[in-house]
Amino acid sequence: MTDQAPLPLEGVRITDFSWIVAGPQATRICADLGAEVIKVENESHLDSIRLGLPQPDIEPSYNSSGFHSNLNRNKLSITANIHHPGGREVVERLIAVSDVVIENYSAGAFSRMGFDYERLRELRPDIIYVSLSGFGHLGRDASYVTWGPTAQAVSGCTQMSGLPDQDPAGWGYSYLDHSAGYYGSIAVLMALHHRARTGQGQHVDMAQIETGMVLCGVPMLDYQVNGRAYERVGNRSRYPAIAPHNTYRCEGDDRWIAIVAETQEQWTTLCDVLGLDCDDDPRFADNESRKQNEDALDATIDAATRGHDPVDLMLALQARGVPAGLCQRSDDKMERDPQLAARDFYPTATHPVLGEHRFEGYPVHFSNARWRLDGGAPLFGGDNHDVLTRLLGYSDDEVATLLAEAAI
Amino acid sequence: MTGTLPDGPLEGLRVIEVGDRGEIAGKLLADAGVDLIRVEPPEGARSRGLPPFVDDDPAQTSLSYAARNTSKRSVTLDLAAPGAGELWAKLVARSDVVIDSHPPTVLDELAAGWDAVGHERLIWCAVTPFGREGPRRDWLAPDLVGVALGGPMMSTGYDDHDLPPIRADGEHSMAMSNEYAVGAILAALWQRDALGGPGQLVDLSIHESISATVEGAFPNWEYLGKLVQRQTGRHSSPDPHPRWQYCCADGNYILLMGGGIPRDRRYWEQLLDWMDEHEAASDLRDPKYIEVLYTDPRLEPEIRGHVAETIGAFVQLLDAETVYRRGQSMHLPWGRVRRPEENLDDPHWADRGFFWEGELPGHPEPVRYPGAPYRFTESPVRLRRRPPLLGEHNHEVYIDELGLSVDEYKALAAAIHG
Repeated sequence: MTDQAPLPLEGVRITDFSWIVAGPQATRICADLGAEVIKVENESHLDSIRLGLPQPDIEPSYNSSGFHSNLNRNKLSITANIHHPGGREVVERLIAVSDVVIENYSAGAFSRMGFDYERLRELRPDIIYVSLSGFGHLGRDASYVTWGPTAQAVSGCTQMSGLPDQDPAGWGYSYLDHSAGYYGSIAVLMALHHRARTGQGQHVDMAQIETGMVLCGVPMLDYQVNGRAYERVGNRSRYPAIAPHNTYRCEGDDRWIAIVAETQEQWTTLCDVLGLDCDDDPRFADNESRKQNEDALDATIDAATRGHDPVDLMLALQARGVPAGLCQRSDDKMERDPQLAARDFYPTATHPVLGEHRFEGYPVHFSNARWRLDGGAPLFGGDNHDVLTRLLGYSDDEVATLLAEAAI
Repeated sequence: MTGTLPDGPLEGLRVIEVGDRGEIAGKLLADAGVDLIRVEPPEGARSRGLPPFVDDDPAQTSLSYAARNTSKRSVTLDLAAPGAGELWAKLVARSDVVIDSHPPTVLDELAAGWDAVGHERLIWCAVTPFGREGPRRDWLAPDLVGVALGGPMMSTGYDDHDLPPIRADGEHSMAMSNEYAVGAILAALWQRDALGGPGQLVDLSIHESISATVEGAFPNWEYLGKLVQRQTGRHSSPDPHPRWQYCCADGNYILLMGGGIPRDRRYWEQLLDWMDEHEAASDLRDPKYIEVLYTDPRLEPEIRGHVAETIGAFVQLLDAETVYRRGQSMHLPWGRVRRPEENLDDPHWADRGFFWEGELPGHPEPVRYPGAPYRFTESPVRLRRRPPLLGEHNHEVYIDELGLSVDEYKALAAAIHG
């Protein structure tokens, strides 16, 4: 990426009421790609992620969370009190000059703040309004509330993770906040394309649980067509039915390697690398027999991998064409993954409170565009003056008055 | 275009999908209204051979294929066969986007890649395991290996670390990367169409897409120097915290977000009343609890742990659906751990029109396909075609649209039909 290349979403402006993770993830992508994302914040409904993962060496404030900074880089922040007429006018003027309004409150909350789709259209007739709630705005259970794990549970994603003879393992984080965020960014872009072609804005009503259900299509069809209820498979593979396909313990504290043999050649190479003499073992003669004897197969491999350093074993297997991967921790990825390093996946930027830190990259290289990392998250209300004077036509005196009245 | 149904948001765009790891990206675009042609080898895309099949008969339609290939058209072409290159170039020449998920050099070696057939207005999205450059570019990474390397597994699993890190079933490496791919494609199209920019190569790394989807594991290491530890059915964390998930009296599981303690104290009393109905409130009415619960959530972990355990013991007395519905009636973000198919008959999704009824080749009854992850109110994203049969649109595309004569088509039979 060169500094001269254009940002693909240059000129798109988004008024961003989103908070926590799902909505900010959607606008993170838009902002990375050049959209001007203006967060509308207020202490009365503070984004609690601003207080997330406090660091012992930094005075706690609304600007001291690295978790928040990574999710909200490249954005602007204004603080407007919508319960004050002056603050409300600021928000309304901002909406009037925006292409998109996005929020991820529980259904009904945004309209209780006075901003339903009809009101947004009065302010900007071709506005694109993306709402991202747990169950969506339409439907009998619209008032139900979710966090990522709730949505994972109801959608089926939790049930589809884990060992068959254990509890569901679920996901060890709010996967559906990120996935819903990705779909939210897609919704914004699709709606922009539609508006460019037709001149028409619209409301896109997203339900976080639906963003999980779309990931569960195969078992839903299998149930309808073959009457089969879903059962967990652990790290094994049901479709395709291949073996070995699992994680195995290695030397070290809680170190694991994932190994998959998709072909007979990969299987014989795996045996060679591990020093396993399985040539004459009928249980492991071909994929079908290995699948039938998968418990014994996995136990045999696991006994062999325990003496290996996981990185050395991964390198040896990949060098000979066997799919294998260390179950990487963050330190493996950020300090010792030569591929991520070669593609500059963790670039650095400086935040006025947090200092210089690495950020998660955007996983795409464009040949005629760039994504950006201009800095960390905006300071709470840090762009009040800039946004009000540059975009909304307020004078310096008017801004001072609004500040004095606590309207912003 | 079917009858008088309104256009989708991406009407008018033409997209070619080739390779096996871009199926979800292709589906997202096709359901939204692009004219998407999937170019398959004569023997069919990999997923056509993946179970489960209709009636568990491998000669029938693969449900793995059907789930990810709605709204597409299918043509067959052996890109390595003599004469195929010209046909491929014609297909690409009239397209806005190519999604190529072959390993990095495969199409380049056939002179069928971006350098050979790209044109000024084309967006070529290469979806590869590690990106088109770098020392591990050519490593092999099926889903399990990809999710291991990308980080989600070390955050997911059980309290007992003798049990392995867990990869969720469902090819999420394809989902995560394809979601990023669609965003990048649409952004590149926006740059082309709204800003007057050129077409371009979009080089997407599946490994980076997964690596960017780990949430707390990243800031814990970067800002605190801590590694997160996996825990059963809840967020990974540097330090263990109480359970969120319990098995209810009917054998179904319930997820109590954050351990079940209401975030809003208005609902604390309601929860206690409900627990009293089952004589399960234990000592929680002691004022010492409410004094602690609505202060800084990092304080008094033992007291919070006791409250969470008491709520956890209570929900195990009831069935999961009751806990879910009554909990939600008091605005508690609790969810029943459903199997995917249990959502098919939840009337809320019918209210929203989430499921799309459509034909499934080889099955006598219509099926309900999971719909879109967004409900567009003016330009609906919807099922536009059932999943295509292999090569179903060969004549339509090669003869009617690209203008091959019947003789020319027959001369290319080996390339098209293998």
